[in-house]
Amino acid sequence: MPQVTLTVNGKTSTVEVEGRTLLVELLREKLRLTGTHVGCDTSQCGACVVHMNGESVKACTTLALQADGASITTIEGLAKADGTLHPMQEAFREYHALQCGFCTPGMVMSAIDLVQKHPEGLSEKEIREGLEGNLCRCTGYHNIVKAIDAAQAVMHGKAASIAPATV
Amino acid sequence: MIVRPATLEAALALRAAGPARPLAGGTDIYPAQAAAAAWMRPSNERLLDLTGIAGLDRIEADAEGWRIGACVTWSALRAAPLPAAFDGLRAAAGTIGGVQVQNRGTVLGNLCNASPAADGAPPLFSLDAGIEIAGPQGIRRLPLPDFLLGNRRTALAPDELAIAIRIPQPAAAARSAFRKLGARSHLVISIAMVAVLAELRDGHVTRACLAVGACGPVAQRLPAAEAALIGAPIAMAPALIAPAHLAALAPLDDLRASAEYRRHAALILLRRALAEALA
Repeated sequence: MPQVTLTVNGKTSTVEVEGRTLLVELLREKLRLTGTHVGCDTSQCGACVVHMNGESVKACTTLALQADGASITTIEGLAKADGTLHPMQEAFREYHALQCGFCTPGMVMSAIDLVQKHPEGLSEKEIREGLEGNLCRCTGYHNIVKAIDAAQAVMHGKAASIAPATV
Repeated sequence: MIVRPATLEAALALRAAGPARPLAGGTDIYPAQAAAAAWMRPSNERLLDLTGIAGLDRIEADAEGWRIGACVTWSALRAAPLPAAFDGLRAAAGTIGGVQVQNRGTVLGNLCNASPAADGAPPLFSLDAGIEIAGPQGIRRLPLPDFLLGNRRTALAPDELAIAIRIPQPAAAARSAFRKLGARSHLVISIAMVAVLAELRDGHVTRACLAVGACGPVAQRLPAAEAALIGAPIAMAPALIAPAHLAALAPLDDLRASAEYRRHAALILLRRALAEALA
C-alpha cells in the first residue's frame, strides 16, 4: 500500500493508505482527529475545511496521497498546549457563533485563512463573501460574521483581546 | 488506484500504458465519485496525479502571450499580475466554487472536465485561448473551440495530456468582464454565464469578443453580435446586442431554468458585462 508522510498540527506521521483514501479519512480514521467533520462529501458545505500548506482546502475532496509532504493544520491544532484558545475560537465562543456546532470546525478554519489573507481588514460584506464555501444551517451567519470581525482585530494586533459581545 | 509521476515524460508513459484519468485539483472528480459510490457504483478508474510534476503550476509570459500551466489554481490566477484583458477571467476565478475550491481547482482542469457550465470557458473563448497538448509525437496545440467537443468530451486522445492554456497577448487597451447567474452566487451550477472582451478607440468599439456558457453543450462566441458592435459609441453599445444575435445558442430546458429564461438571461448578462467592460 502506498505511504504518505505529512505533518499534522506540527507532528509528522507516515501512514499507509489506499490510493482512494481522502485526506479527511486519513485525518479522522487513521490519525483519530475527529474534529474535522464530513458534511456533504461533495465540496459544498465546508465542514471539512483544513489548512494545507497554509491555504484552506476541503479535505473531503483532497486525496490523502496529494497531501504527501504537506503541512496540515486542523481544528485540533489551533489552541495552545495550555488550553488557551486561538482568537478565532475565543471569538466564536464569545459571540455564540454556533448552535449545533457541526459546521464550526470548518467555519473557524476558513475564517482564519480569510483573515490571514486580508491584513488590511475585512468589511462585513467581505467576510460574508469569504464564507461562501461554508454552510451553517442553524445560526443564520450573523453571529459568525460578528465573531470573525472581532477576531480579525486581535489577529492583526489592533486589539489585545476579543471585544465583549453586546446583547 | 492513483499514480503520481514526477516528470511529464513519466506521466505520458503512464497515459500510454493504459487508461488513466488525469487529476489536478480533483474538485470535480471526487464529488462525482462520491455521488457514484453513494449509489453503489464505486469507481476503480486509475488516476494520474499531475501535481507532482514540477513547473506545471506556473503562469508565464513570452513573446507569444501568456501560458497558464495545467496545475495553476484559480487562487493563483486571481493573485497573478495579469493585464486588464484578464479581468473577466479573474472575476470567473473569484466566483467558481468557494475559496477552498479555488485553492485546489485548476483553470485547465475546468476545461478538461468539459462541463457545459464550466465558468472558465467563456472568458477563455473571449481571449482566443488555445490548449497545449503533450503526446507521444510531441506537442500540439488546438484552439479552445476545437478542444471542447461537447458535454464532457474533449479532443484529448487517451495517450495525451493537456499541459497548458495558451493566450495570445491581448491588446493593451483590451478590457473584459464576466457575469454569471445561478440560484446563489457561489457553489452552484450556473444557469447562464457570459464573458466580454472589448477594445475601444476615441469612445467607439473597435473590437468585441462575446462568449456565452451554459447555453449549449459547449460555450460559444457570438460573431453576429461582435460584428454589430464594431464602431458603436460606448453608451449605445450594450443595447445593440439583440435577441437575434443569440439564435445559435441551444440552452437546456431543465430543473435549473427553462430554455427561454436562459436565453433571456444570457442577453441581459451580455449587455451588463459589456457595459462593465466599457466603463
